[in-house]
Amino acid sequence: MMNFRNLTIPAWTWSFLAAFVVLILTFMVAGGGAKTLTLAFTIAPYLVLVGLGQMLVMSTGAGNIDVSVAKVFSLGGLVSIAVGEATGSWVLGLAAAMAAGFALSCVSLASIIFIRIPPIVATLATSLLASAVSLTLAQGFQGSADPVLKGFLGSAPMGVPAFALVVLLFTIFVQLMLGRTTWGAQTLAFGQARRASEYAGVSATKTLTIVYLTSGVLAALSGALRASFSAPNVELGNDYLLDSIAVVVIGGTLITGGRSEPAGIWGGALFFILLDGLLNLIGWDYAGQNILKGFFVLAVLFLASGVPIIHRRSASANPADLTLPEAADSTASGASFDVQASAERSTVT
Amino acid sequence: MISMNPIRSRNAVPRGLVRRVFPGAITLVAMIVILIVCGTIQPRIWSQTGITLILSPIVAMVIASQAQMVMMSIGDIDLSIGFFVGMVTTIVATILPDTPTLGFLALGASVLGYTLMGALVQLREVPSLIATLGGSFIWLGLGLFALPVPGGSVPDWLSSYAFWTPPLSIPVSVITMLTATVITWFVMQRTGLGARFRSLGSNPYALIRSGGSVLRTRMLTYAIVGILGVLSGITLSAEIGGGDVNAAPGYTLSSIAAVILGGGVFTGGRAVAWGTLFGAVTLGLLTVLLTLLNLSSNLQPAVQGAIVIAVLAGRLVVERVVK
Repeated sequence: MMNFRNLTIPAWTWSFLAAFVVLILTFMVAGGGAKTLTLAFTIAPYLVLVGLGQMLVMSTGAGNIDVSVAKVFSLGGLVSIAVGEATGSWVLGLAAAMAAGFALSCVSLASIIFIRIPPIVATLATSLLASAVSLTLAQGFQGSADPVLKGFLGSAPMGVPAFALVVLLFTIFVQLMLGRTTWGAQTLAFGQARRASEYAGVSATKTLTIVYLTSGVLAALSGALRASFSAPNVELGNDYLLDSIAVVVIGGTLITGGRSEPAGIWGGALFFILLDGLLNLIGWDYAGQNILKGFFVLAVLFLASGVPIIHRRSASANPADLTLPEAADSTASGASFDVQASAERSTVT
Repeated sequence: MISMNPIRSRNAVPRGLVRRVFPGAITLVAMIVILIVCGTIQPRIWSQTGITLILSPIVAMVIASQAQMVMMSIGDIDLSIGFFVGMVTTIVATILPDTPTLGFLALGASVLGYTLMGALVQLREVPSLIATLGGSFIWLGLGLFALPVPGGSVPDWLSSYAFWTPPLSIPVSVITMLTATVITWFVMQRTGLGARFRSLGSNPYALIRSGGSVLRTRMLTYAIVGILGVLSGITLSAEIGGGDVNAAPGYTLSSIAAVILGGGVFTGGRAVAWGTLFGAVTLGLLTVLLTLLNLSSNLQPAVQGAIVIAVLAGRLVVERVVK
């Protein structure tokens, strides 16, 4: 790592660059003001929390993904408001939501570890379970968020949203955990080479348990907070599934596992939220917003992901193909990794 | 280094016909059991109309699952098929009835869009999961652009096909399903194209050394997925009698579940057209069964999820016993 030749632009730069470009465009259209940023930082933390969980899951290697975050998010919102209303304490409400997320993750984990169901199908089954509970709970649902919590989530002294600072601290915590602790090293090693790390003594069960539980708990917690910020709803989390995966990857985390970029999630989340704001501002309808969002995701992928355009990266940092066992060979045998070489490699006979 | 690993032979991906067919067979058993239970509760489904009624909502899902199966045979995953099918229904319901030429051009262009997505995945080595995710935003946007609110009407030839009563009291939905499956099976298992797809999934170096182009193969795969997606959309709009971009977002994940139930694998290299048919029909029939059981519609998703897990757990148990 200390080798100077291996120094490259951090993978998360691209997402911040994209967010920055959108911010400049917003200022050009709307005439500027810190208000735009304050608003973006008020909404972004919810997506960041879900994204952090998703990132941990995706870091543990190809095929690991949590597609239940959307429904768990909605359920977390409903549970926290319901429990908070019944007990009169928003702390208990948040705790109940986290417990619900924990329980649902246990269902996913049991299917993944004991029945060996691919994670995407296992978490899909969990999300069906979560949506059934949400639908039952939402029948005749009444209740509103605790004003104290709601006040905190909306508060922004001197234009700095307090909640965003808390989530920022949590992001730094996750970054330190991944970078500085044995657990982090083990998790990333597991993502890079599952079998090799298992020989080195990393427990697959333990690694998977921690990341899936974290993802479930964070999704439910984020949903609980989001519901307190606005209002609980069965559909509340629907956008968060695709968005969470997109911001994680735009942020520079490798979908093949083994490299996490917690900072990049902020860039990705701000990019998405500022983009939505900008398009609203210039009067694009929802249809146009989605088309542009899709093109932006593909454009960022084109620039940031895959084969590095400028730098030669170490072989393991190449997200060649999602599931190919041969992918490592392909990167090891290729001599140079610019666009042209990749194109040639594709047509080599 | 890996070849010296003693555990490898035990953990290696199982090969051979039995291994490929077995998971689909288990799903077929589950499908027949569900069908029999449905028939016991409501004997009137044993008629041409009855079978048509319970199967016609599943037809589009079967074709979308075949698309996902083709995608998974090369080791990629398609997260955009649900919105793509939805977008196709909006094209079918708005442009196709009045200006058929323009409509078919639009459908052709969407297949081209899929092909370009394949080129992006290959050239920039982008994960398919994320590229198709980006694509799904575009399909959703285009669909909303074509038809902001559900509606429109389908061309006459399409609705007359949907209401066609074939001879020998064969339900039209069964004909469509079987045709789609047979064609997919034939292409994947009996043509050189299918062999190249599967080789891209299992061992791309074999494909390169045998003179194939990885780029062209991946683009062709995405083109075929796009064509199947268009067929699924046409079938779905015939079924719902109009267009709605949000008609089938659930297809994305259900189709993956159908392929897994049918014996497909995420690592690619395996094409299971028949298994996918059984998987998709099983998932569809579950909804029918739960409705017949008068289960609260709120609880249906939970039971559906539990049964998917149960079938996969049952397969694991049987596999252990067979071993």
